[in-house]
Amino acid sequence: MSTIGDWNDAAKELNDIVASFDEGEVSVDDLFVKLERATAIIESLEARLEATKAKVEELAPRISRVASDE
Amino acid sequence: MDSDYTTSTDAILEVGEFYELLTAQLESAYGRRHPRWVRGEVSKVYEKTHLYVDLVDAGSSASDSKRPVLNAHCWASAWNPLKRKLAQDGVTLQPGMIVNFFGYVDVYAPQGRIGFTVTEVDVAGLLGDVARRRLELIARLRGEDLFDANRRTILSPVPLRVGLVASPQTEGYSDFTGQLLDSGYGFQILLVKTAVQGEAAPPQIVAAIEALDGADVDVICLVRGGGSRGDLSCFDDERVARAIAASSTPVFTGIGHTGDESVADLVAHTRAITPTKLGEEIVSVVRYWYQSNVRYPAQRVLSATEAVFDEATEYVAERRRTMIFAVRDRLRAEQRHLLATRERLVIQSRHLLATATQMLASDRQLLSAYDPKRRLAQGWSIVTNAEGVVVRSVGDVRVDESVRVAVSDGSFAATVNEKNGASS
Repeated sequence: MSTIGDWNDAAKELNDIVASFDEGEVSVDDLFVKLERATAIIESLEARLEATKAKVEELAPRISRVASDE
Repeated sequence: MDSDYTTSTDAILEVGEFYELLTAQLESAYGRRHPRWVRGEVSKVYEKTHLYVDLVDAGSSASDSKRPVLNAHCWASAWNPLKRKLAQDGVTLQPGMIVNFFGYVDVYAPQGRIGFTVTEVDVAGLLGDVARRRLELIARLRGEDLFDANRRTILSPVPLRVGLVASPQTEGYSDFTGQLLDSGYGFQILLVKTAVQGEAAPPQIVAAIEALDGADVDVICLVRGGGSRGDLSCFDDERVARAIAASSTPVFTGIGHTGDESVADLVAHTRAITPTKLGEEIVSVVRYWYQSNVRYPAQRVLSATEAVFDEATEYVAERRRTMIFAVRDRLRAEQRHLLATRERLVIQSRHLLATATQMLASDRQLLSAYDPKRRLAQGWSIVTNAEGVVVRSVGDVRVDESVRVAVSDGSFAATVNEKNGASS
Protein backbone atom coordinates (compact mmCIF):
# COMPACT_ATOMS: atom_id res chain seq x y z
CA MET A 1 0.00 0.00 0.00
CA SER A 2 1.40 3.31 -1.07
CA THR A 3 2.24 6.01 1.45
CA ILE A 4 -0.39 8.49 2.44
CA GLY A 5 0.42 12.03 1.30
CA ASP A 6 0.06 15.29 3.17
CA TRP A 7 -3.32 16.44 4.47
CA ASN A 8 -4.53 17.86 1.14
CA ASP A 9 -3.29 14.95 -0.92
CA ALA A 10 -4.79 12.46 1.53
CA ALA A 11 -8.09 14.36 1.57
CA LYS A 12 -8.15 14.39 -2.22
CA GLU A 13 -7.50 10.65 -2.41
CA LEU A 14 -10.20 10.02 0.19
CA ASN A 15 -12.64 12.25 -1.71
CA ASP A 16 -11.89 10.37 -4.90
CA ILE A 17 -12.61 7.04 -3.19
CA VAL A 18 -15.90 8.37 -1.83
CA ALA A 19 -16.76 9.78 -5.26
CA SER A 20 -16.08 6.41 -6.88
CA PHE A 21 -18.55 4.86 -4.44
CA ASP A 22 -21.08 7.60 -5.15
CA GLU A 23 -20.75 6.98 -8.86
CA GLY A 24 -21.04 3.24 -8.44
CA GLU A 25 -17.66 2.57 -9.95
CA VAL A 26 -16.49 0.18 -7.28
CA SER A 27 -16.65 -3.48 -8.06
CA VAL A 28 -17.02 -5.96 -5.25
CA ASP A 29 -13.46 -7.11 -5.83
CA ASP A 30 -12.26 -3.48 -5.47
CA LEU A 31 -14.51 -2.68 -2.57
CA PHE A 32 -12.34 -4.18 0.12
CA VAL A 33 -9.18 -2.66 -1.33
CA LYS A 34 -10.77 0.78 -1.49
CA LEU A 35 -12.33 0.43 1.94
CA GLU A 36 -9.01 -0.62 3.38
CA ARG A 37 -7.29 2.33 1.73
CA ALA A 38 -9.99 4.76 2.86
CA THR A 39 -9.76 3.43 6.39
CA ALA A 40 -6.00 3.86 6.40
CA ILE A 41 -6.35 7.44 5.14
CA ILE A 42 -9.03 8.29 7.70
CA GLU A 43 -6.97 6.80 10.53
CA SER A 44 -3.95 8.72 9.32
CA LEU A 45 -5.93 11.96 9.19
CA GLU A 46 -7.35 11.32 12.66
CA ALA A 47 -3.89 10.62 14.00
CA ARG A 48 -2.64 13.86 12.52
CA LEU A 49 -5.60 15.67 14.01
CA GLU A 50 -4.86 14.20 17.41
CA ALA A 51 -1.21 15.14 17.14
CA THR A 52 -2.15 18.64 16.02
CA LYS A 53 -4.73 18.88 18.78
CA ALA A 54 -2.09 18.00 21.35
CA LYS A 55 0.20 20.70 20.00
CA VAL A 56 -2.64 23.22 19.86
CA GLU A 57 -3.63 22.45 23.43
CA GLU A 58 -0.06 23.04 24.48
CA LEU A 59 0.21 26.35 22.62
CA ALA A 60 -3.34 27.67 23.01
CA PRO A 61 -2.99 28.69 26.67
CA ARG A 62 0.13 30.66 25.79
CA ILE A 63 -1.64 32.47 22.95
CA SER A 64 -4.71 32.89 25.18
CA ARG A 65 -2.60 34.73 27.72
CA VAL A 66 -1.56 37.17 24.99
CA ALA A 67 -5.06 37.37 23.53
CA SER A 68 -6.70 38.13 26.85
CA ASP A 69 -3.94 40.29 28.26
CA GLU A 70 -5.05 43.77 29.29
CA MET B 1 19.51 131.83 33.64
CA ASP B 2 19.35 135.48 34.45
CA SER B 3 21.71 135.72 37.37
CA ASP B 4 25.36 135.89 36.85
CA TYR B 5 26.66 132.84 38.69
CA THR B 6 29.99 134.49 39.06
CA THR B 7 28.43 137.18 41.25
CA SER B 8 26.30 134.79 43.34
CA THR B 9 26.37 135.57 47.04
CA ASP B 10 25.61 131.94 48.00
CA ALA B 11 28.25 130.29 50.02
CA ILE B 12 30.55 127.91 48.33
CA LEU B 13 29.54 124.31 49.20
CA GLU B 14 31.67 121.31 49.80
CA VAL B 15 30.74 118.24 47.70
CA GLY B 16 29.08 116.58 50.65
CA GLU B 17 27.21 119.73 51.45
CA PHE B 18 26.14 119.94 47.83
CA TYR B 19 24.77 116.39 47.90
CA GLU B 20 23.01 117.09 51.19
CA LEU B 21 21.36 120.12 49.65
CA LEU B 22 20.54 118.24 46.45
CA THR B 23 19.14 115.30 48.39
CA ALA B 24 17.05 117.59 50.54
CA GLN B 25 15.71 119.36 47.49
CA LEU B 26 14.94 116.16 45.58
CA GLU B 27 13.46 114.40 48.57
CA SER B 28 11.23 117.35 49.29
CA ALA B 29 9.75 116.93 45.82
CA TYR B 30 10.25 113.18 44.97
CA GLY B 31 11.35 111.70 48.27
CA ARG B 32 9.97 108.97 50.50
CA ARG B 33 6.99 111.13 51.35
CA HIS B 34 6.28 111.87 47.73
CA PRO B 35 6.50 108.56 45.88
CA ARG B 36 5.56 108.41 42.20
CA TRP B 37 4.84 105.91 39.49
CA VAL B 38 7.54 105.64 36.84
CA ARG B 39 7.13 103.63 33.62
CA GLY B 40 10.07 102.26 31.72
CA GLU B 41 11.54 99.37 29.79
CA VAL B 42 13.85 97.04 31.64
CA SER B 43 17.25 97.26 29.99
CA LYS B 44 19.21 95.44 32.66
CA VAL B 45 18.14 93.40 35.63
CA TYR B 46 20.35 91.99 38.35
CA GLU B 47 19.49 90.37 41.63
CA LYS B 48 21.79 89.82 44.55
CA THR B 49 19.81 89.92 47.73
CA HIS B 50 18.38 93.18 46.46
CA LEU B 51 17.00 93.81 43.01
CA TYR B 52 18.76 96.19 40.62
CA VAL B 53 17.02 97.29 37.45
CA ASP B 54 18.02 99.80 34.80
CA LEU B 55 14.97 101.44 33.27
CA VAL B 56 14.97 103.34 29.99
CA ASP B 57 12.23 104.96 27.96
CA ALA B 58 10.18 102.27 26.23
CA GLY B 59 11.22 101.85 22.64
CA SER B 60 14.37 103.91 22.96
CA SER B 61 17.46 102.68 21.19
CA ALA B 62 20.34 101.18 23.11
CA SER B 63 22.67 102.85 20.66
CA ASP B 64 21.41 106.25 21.77
CA SER B 65 24.20 107.41 24.05
CA LYS B 66 22.00 110.14 25.47
CA ARG B 67 19.18 107.82 26.38
CA PRO B 68 18.10 108.54 29.95
CA VAL B 69 18.58 105.66 32.35
CA LEU B 70 16.99 105.30 35.76
CA ASN B 71 18.92 103.09 38.16
CA ALA B 72 16.14 101.52 40.18
CA HIS B 73 16.63 99.21 43.06
CA CYS B 74 14.38 97.37 45.41
CA TRP B 75 15.75 96.48 48.78
CA ALA B 76 15.39 92.91 49.91
CA SER B 77 12.82 93.81 52.57
CA ALA B 78 10.48 95.06 49.86
CA TRP B 79 11.73 92.86 47.03
CA ASN B 80 11.23 89.47 48.66
CA PRO B 81 7.44 89.77 49.11
CA LEU B 82 7.19 91.40 45.69
CA LYS B 83 9.23 88.63 44.16
CA ARG B 84 6.98 85.99 45.66
CA LYS B 85 3.92 87.76 44.36
CA LEU B 86 5.40 88.03 40.87
CA ALA B 87 6.49 84.43 40.96
CA GLN B 88 2.99 83.27 41.81
CA ASP B 89 1.77 85.01 38.70
CA GLY B 90 4.55 83.61 36.60
CA VAL B 91 6.37 86.84 36.08
CA THR B 92 10.12 87.08 35.99
CA LEU B 93 11.57 90.50 35.33
CA GLN B 94 13.46 90.35 32.08
CA PRO B 95 15.02 92.89 29.76
CA GLY B 96 12.47 94.26 27.34
CA MET B 97 9.61 94.20 29.78
CA ILE B 98 7.61 97.37 30.28
CA VAL B 99 7.14 97.94 34.01
CA ASN B 100 5.51 100.47 36.27
CA PHE B 101 7.55 101.04 39.42
CA PHE B 102 6.24 102.95 42.40
CA GLY B 103 8.90 104.55 44.54
CA TYR B 104 10.93 107.56 45.33
CA VAL B 105 14.14 109.28 44.40
CA ASP B 106 17.31 108.14 46.01
CA VAL B 107 20.60 110.00 45.87
CA TYR B 108 23.73 107.95 46.52
CA ALA B 109 26.48 110.41 47.04
CA PRO B 110 29.45 107.99 47.25
CA GLN B 111 28.93 107.13 43.57
CA GLY B 112 27.36 110.37 42.61
CA ARG B 113 24.25 108.57 41.46
CA ILE B 114 20.62 109.44 41.54
CA GLY B 115 18.57 106.33 41.80
CA PHE B 116 15.04 105.17 42.38
CA THR B 117 13.96 103.07 45.32
CA VAL B 118 11.11 100.77 44.29
CA THR B 119 8.43 100.01 46.85
CA GLU B 120 5.76 98.58 44.59
CA VAL B 121 5.47 96.97 41.18
CA ASP B 122 2.36 97.12 39.01
CA VAL B 123 1.80 93.35 38.72
CA ALA B 124 -1.36 93.69 36.63
CA GLY B 125 0.52 95.75 34.12
CA LEU B 126 3.36 93.28 34.12
CA LEU B 127 0.96 90.39 33.54
CA GLY B 128 -0.44 92.23 30.58
CA ASP B 129 3.05 92.66 29.33
CA VAL B 130 3.83 88.99 29.86
CA ALA B 131 0.70 88.07 27.94
CA ARG B 132 1.64 90.45 25.17
CA ARG B 133 5.15 89.03 24.97
CA ARG B 134 3.72 85.54 24.91
CA LEU B 135 1.42 86.40 22.03
CA GLU B 136 4.30 88.02 20.23
CA LEU B 137 6.37 84.87 20.71
CA ILE B 138 3.57 82.71 19.34
CA ALA B 139 3.21 85.05 16.37
CA ARG B 140 6.93 84.85 15.72
CA LEU B 141 6.88 81.08 15.87
CA ARG B 142 3.94 80.98 13.48
CA GLY B 143 5.67 83.42 11.19
CA GLU B 144 8.73 81.20 11.08
CA ASP B 145 6.58 78.11 10.51
CA LEU B 146 7.78 76.69 13.80
CA PHE B 147 4.49 76.66 15.69
CA ASP B 148 3.33 73.33 14.19
CA ALA B 149 6.77 72.04 13.26
CA ASN B 150 6.94 69.37 15.95
CA ARG B 151 3.37 68.27 15.29
CA ARG B 152 4.49 67.39 11.77
CA THR B 153 6.97 64.84 13.09
CA ILE B 154 5.82 61.23 12.89
CA LEU B 155 5.26 59.44 16.16
CA SER B 156 6.43 55.84 16.29
CA PRO B 157 3.42 53.51 16.43
CA VAL B 158 4.96 51.90 19.48
CA PRO B 159 6.86 54.56 21.44
CA LEU B 160 8.55 52.37 24.01
CA ARG B 161 11.83 54.30 24.11
CA VAL B 162 10.93 57.40 26.05
CA GLY B 163 13.28 60.33 26.49
CA LEU B 164 12.31 62.14 29.65
CA VAL B 165 13.10 65.73 30.55
CA ALA B 166 12.24 66.12 34.21
CA SER B 167 13.46 66.51 37.73
CA PRO B 168 13.47 63.09 39.37
CA GLN B 169 12.66 64.45 42.80
CA THR B 170 9.27 65.76 41.75
CA GLU B 171 5.79 64.31 41.97
CA GLY B 172 5.36 64.95 38.26
CA TYR B 173 8.27 62.62 37.55
CA SER B 174 6.85 59.91 39.82
CA ASP B 175 3.34 60.28 38.41
CA PHE B 176 4.57 60.02 34.84
CA THR B 177 7.04 57.16 35.26
CA GLY B 178 4.54 55.34 37.48
CA GLN B 179 2.09 55.17 34.59
CA LEU B 180 4.73 53.74 32.28
CA LEU B 181 6.21 51.26 34.72
CA ASP B 182 2.81 50.05 35.96
CA SER B 183 1.57 49.48 32.42
CA GLY B 184 3.36 46.16 32.07
CA TYR B 185 4.84 47.20 28.73
CA GLY B 186 8.59 47.28 28.26
CA PHE B 187 9.18 51.00 28.34
CA GLN B 188 12.77 52.17 28.31
CA ILE B 189 13.11 55.55 29.95
CA LEU B 190 16.11 57.70 29.17
CA LEU B 191 16.09 60.48 31.74
CA VAL B 192 17.88 63.79 31.38
CA LYS B 193 17.67 65.59 34.68
CA THR B 194 16.92 69.27 34.50
CA ALA B 195 15.68 72.04 36.68
CA VAL B 196 12.00 72.57 35.94
CA GLN B 197 11.64 76.03 37.36
CA GLY B 198 13.73 79.12 37.71
CA GLU B 199 16.14 80.87 35.45
CA ALA B 200 18.43 77.85 35.14
CA ALA B 201 15.64 75.70 33.77
CA PRO B 202 15.28 76.93 30.15
CA PRO B 203 18.87 76.33 29.03
CA GLN B 204 18.91 72.96 30.78
CA ILE B 205 15.62 71.95 29.17
CA VAL B 206 16.88 73.07 25.76
CA ALA B 207 20.08 71.05 26.18
CA ALA B 208 18.08 68.02 27.31
CA ILE B 209 15.74 68.18 24.32
CA GLU B 210 18.68 68.52 21.94
CA ALA B 211 20.51 65.62 23.59
CA LEU B 212 17.49 63.34 23.49
CA ASP B 213 16.73 64.32 19.90
CA GLY B 214 20.11 62.89 19.02
CA ALA B 215 19.53 59.78 21.09
CA ASP B 216 17.59 56.78 19.86
CA VAL B 217 14.26 57.58 21.48
CA ASP B 218 10.74 57.43 20.05
CA VAL B 219 9.35 60.36 21.96
CA ILE B 220 10.61 63.13 24.21
CA CYS B 221 8.44 63.87 27.21
CA LEU B 222 8.64 67.18 29.01
CA VAL B 223 7.27 66.64 32.47
CA ARG B 224 6.58 68.99 35.32
CA GLY B 225 3.98 68.78 38.06
CA GLY B 226 1.71 71.58 39.12
CA GLY B 227 2.92 74.89 40.43
CA SER B 228 2.40 78.61 40.29
CA ARG B 229 2.55 80.48 37.03
CA GLY B 230 5.98 81.58 38.10
CA ASP B 231 7.08 78.01 38.66
CA LEU B 232 5.93 77.08 35.20
CA SER B 233 7.18 80.20 33.43
CA CYS B 234 10.25 78.40 32.09
CA PHE B 235 7.93 76.53 29.77
CA ASP B 236 6.93 79.83 28.20
CA ASP B 237 10.54 80.54 27.42
CA GLU B 238 11.27 81.19 23.77
CA ARG B 239 14.40 79.04 23.84
CA VAL B 240 12.40 76.06 25.05
CA ALA B 241 9.72 76.64 22.44
CA ARG B 242 12.30 76.83 19.67
CA ALA B 243 14.05 73.68 20.90
CA ILE B 244 10.76 71.80 20.77
CA ALA B 245 10.01 73.13 17.29
CA ALA B 246 13.48 72.16 16.08
CA SER B 247 13.30 68.64 17.48
CA SER B 248 12.93 65.92 14.86
CA THR B 249 11.56 63.67 17.59
CA PRO B 250 7.96 64.19 18.71
CA VAL B 251 7.87 66.14 21.96
CA PHE B 252 5.01 65.46 24.37
CA THR B 253 4.32 67.73 27.32
CA GLY B 254 2.73 67.00 30.64
CA ILE B 255 3.11 70.25 32.49
CA GLY B 256 1.19 71.49 35.48
CA HIS B 257 -2.47 70.95 36.11
CA THR B 258 -5.60 71.54 34.12
CA GLY B 259 -5.83 75.10 32.90
CA ASP B 260 -2.13 75.73 32.61
CA GLU B 261 -1.13 75.94 28.99
CA SER B 262 2.41 76.98 28.32
CA VAL B 263 3.97 77.93 25.01
CA ALA B 264 5.79 74.61 25.22
CA ASP B 265 2.37 72.92 25.33
CA LEU B 266 1.26 74.88 22.28
CA VAL B 267 4.22 73.95 20.12
CA ALA B 268 4.51 70.37 21.34
CA HIS B 269 3.45 67.40 19.23
CA THR B 270 0.97 66.36 21.90
CA ARG B 271 -0.02 68.02 25.12
CA ALA B 272 -1.40 66.29 28.19
CA ILE B 273 -2.85 68.28 31.06
CA THR B 274 -0.79 66.55 33.73
CA PRO B 275 2.21 64.22 33.95
CA THR B 276 -0.16 61.40 34.88
CA LYS B 277 -2.30 62.06 31.83
CA LEU B 278 0.82 62.17 29.68
CA GLY B 279 1.87 58.76 30.99
CA GLU B 280 -1.61 57.46 30.24
CA GLU B 281 -1.41 58.91 26.73
CA ILE B 282 1.91 57.20 25.97
CA VAL B 283 0.66 53.93 27.45
CA SER B 284 -2.54 54.17 25.42
CA VAL B 285 -0.54 54.57 22.19
CA VAL B 286 1.49 51.47 23.01
CA ARG B 287 -1.62 49.62 24.16
CA TYR B 288 -3.38 50.44 20.89
CA TRP B 289 -0.41 49.10 18.95
CA TYR B 290 -0.21 46.02 21.16
CA GLN B 291 -3.90 45.32 20.76
CA SER B 292 -3.81 45.88 17.01
CA ASN B 293 -0.60 43.99 16.34
CA VAL B 294 -0.39 41.38 19.06
CA ARG B 295 -3.61 40.83 20.98
CA TYR B 296 -6.13 40.89 18.14
CA PRO B 297 -3.92 38.75 15.87
CA ALA B 298 -3.52 36.29 18.75
CA GLN B 299 -7.29 36.16 19.13
CA ARG B 300 -7.68 35.70 15.39
CA VAL B 301 -5.06 32.90 15.42
CA LEU B 302 -6.91 31.20 18.25
CA SER B 303 -10.31 31.43 16.60
CA ALA B 304 -8.90 30.50 13.19
CA THR B 305 -7.08 27.52 14.73
CA GLU B 306 -10.29 26.42 16.39
CA ALA B 307 -12.21 26.83 13.14
CA VAL B 308 -9.64 24.93 11.08
CA PHE B 309 -9.50 22.22 13.70
CA ASP B 310 -13.28 21.92 13.91
CA GLU B 311 -13.53 21.85 10.13
CA ALA B 312 -10.84 19.19 9.81
CA THR B 313 -12.38 17.10 12.58
CA GLU B 314 -15.82 17.38 11.02
CA TYR B 315 -14.36 16.58 7.62
CA VAL B 316 -12.73 13.37 8.80
CA ALA B 317 -15.84 12.34 10.72
CA GLU B 318 -18.04 13.03 7.72
CA ARG B 319 -15.74 11.10 5.39
CA ARG B 320 -15.74 8.22 7.85
CA ARG B 321 -19.55 8.20 7.95
CA THR B 322 -19.73 8.55 4.19
CA MET B 323 -17.33 5.66 3.67
CA ILE B 324 -19.28 3.43 6.05
CA PHE B 325 -22.55 4.26 4.32
CA ALA B 326 -21.01 4.00 0.87
CA VAL B 327 -19.57 0.56 1.55
CA ARG B 328 -22.76 -0.59 3.26
CA ASP B 329 -24.85 0.69 0.39
CA ARG B 330 -22.52 -0.93 -2.10
CA LEU B 331 -22.68 -4.27 -0.28
CA ARG B 332 -26.42 -4.03 0.06
CA ALA B 333 -26.70 -3.31 -3.64
CA GLU B 334 -24.60 -6.33 -4.41
CA GLN B 335 -26.66 -8.42 -2.02
CA ARG B 336 -29.85 -7.20 -3.65
CA HIS B 337 -28.41 -7.98 -7.04
CA LEU B 338 -27.38 -11.46 -5.98
CA LEU B 339 -30.76 -12.09 -4.39
CA ALA B 340 -32.54 -10.91 -7.48
CA THR B 341 -30.32 -13.08 -9.65
CA ARG B 342 -30.90 -16.03 -7.41
CA GLU B 343 -34.63 -15.49 -7.51
CA ARG B 344 -34.48 -15.16 -11.24
CA LEU B 345 -32.50 -18.37 -11.49
CA VAL B 346 -34.97 -20.25 -9.28
CA ILE B 347 -37.89 -19.05 -11.31
CA GLN B 348 -36.14 -19.85 -14.53
CA SER B 349 -35.09 -23.26 -13.20
CA ARG B 350 -38.61 -24.04 -12.16
CA HIS B 351 -39.84 -22.95 -15.50
CA LEU B 352 -37.26 -25.09 -17.26
CA LEU B 353 -38.09 -28.01 -15.02
CA ALA B 354 -41.77 -27.64 -15.72
CA THR B 355 -41.11 -27.39 -19.43
CA ALA B 356 -38.84 -30.41 -19.31
CA THR B 357 -41.37 -32.36 -17.31
CA GLN B 358 -44.00 -31.40 -19.76
CA MET B 359 -41.78 -32.40 -22.64
CA LEU B 360 -40.90 -35.61 -20.91
CA ALA B 361 -44.56 -36.44 -20.39
CA SER B 362 -45.21 -35.69 -24.00
CA ASP B 363 -42.30 -37.85 -25.08
CA ARG B 364 -43.41 -40.55 -22.77
CA GLN B 365 -46.84 -40.36 -24.26
CA LEU B 366 -45.34 -40.50 -27.68
CA LEU B 367 -43.10 -43.36 -26.75
CA SER B 368 -45.91 -45.31 -25.22
CA ALA B 369 -47.47 -45.46 -28.64
CA TYR B 370 -44.46 -47.49 -29.66
CA ASP B 371 -44.40 -49.65 -26.56
CA PRO B 372 -43.77 -53.36 -27.73
CA LYS B 373 -46.09 -54.52 -25.03
CA ARG B 374 -48.89 -52.66 -26.70
CA ARG B 375 -47.90 -54.30 -29.98
CA LEU B 376 -47.72 -57.73 -28.35
CA ALA B 377 -51.13 -57.10 -26.80
CA GLN B 378 -52.42 -56.37 -30.22
CA GLY B 379 -51.22 -59.81 -31.30
CA TRP B 380 -47.79 -58.99 -32.51
CA SER B 381 -44.82 -61.06 -31.39
CA ILE B 382 -41.09 -60.53 -31.23
CA VAL B 383 -38.69 -63.23 -32.38
CA THR B 384 -35.17 -63.32 -31.09
CA ASN B 385 -32.36 -65.71 -31.94
CA ALA B 386 -30.23 -67.65 -29.54
CA GLU B 387 -28.17 -64.53 -28.84
CA GLY B 388 -31.24 -62.55 -27.99
CA VAL B 389 -31.04 -60.47 -31.15
CA VAL B 390 -34.39 -59.49 -32.64
CA VAL B 391 -34.99 -61.25 -35.88
CA ARG B 392 -36.00 -58.61 -38.32
CA SER B 393 -35.35 -60.50 -41.57
CA VAL B 394 -35.57 -64.10 -42.82
CA GLY B 395 -31.90 -63.69 -43.45
CA ASP B 396 -31.30 -63.28 -39.74
CA VAL B 397 -32.14 -67.00 -39.13
CA ARG B 398 -31.22 -70.29 -40.45
CA VAL B 399 -33.42 -73.28 -41.02
CA ASP B 400 -33.51 -75.45 -37.96
CA GLU B 401 -32.26 -72.63 -35.81
CA SER B 402 -33.96 -72.37 -32.48
CA VAL B 403 -35.58 -69.07 -31.81
CA ARG B 404 -37.74 -67.63 -29.06
CA VAL B 405 -41.05 -66.03 -29.75
CA ALA B 406 -42.30 -63.42 -27.31
CA VAL B 407 -46.05 -62.76 -27.10
CA SER B 408 -48.15 -60.53 -24.85
CA ASP B 409 -48.30 -62.88 -21.94
CA GLY B 410 -45.00 -64.79 -22.29
CA SER B 411 -42.75 -66.54 -24.79
CA PHE B 412 -42.09 -69.87 -26.22
CA ALA B 413 -39.34 -71.65 -28.15
CA ALA B 414 -39.66 -72.46 -31.80
CA THR B 415 -37.57 -73.90 -34.60
CA VAL B 416 -37.27 -72.49 -38.09
CA ASN B 417 -38.61 -75.07 -40.48
CA GLU B 418 -38.37 -73.16 -43.66
CA LYS B 419 -37.75 -69.66 -44.88
CA ASN B 420 -39.72 -67.74 -47.42
CA GLY B 421 -38.98 -64.35 -48.73
CA ALA B 422 -36.58 -62.39 -50.86
CA SER B 423 -33.56 -62.99 -48.74
CA SER B 424 -34.19 -66.56 -47.94
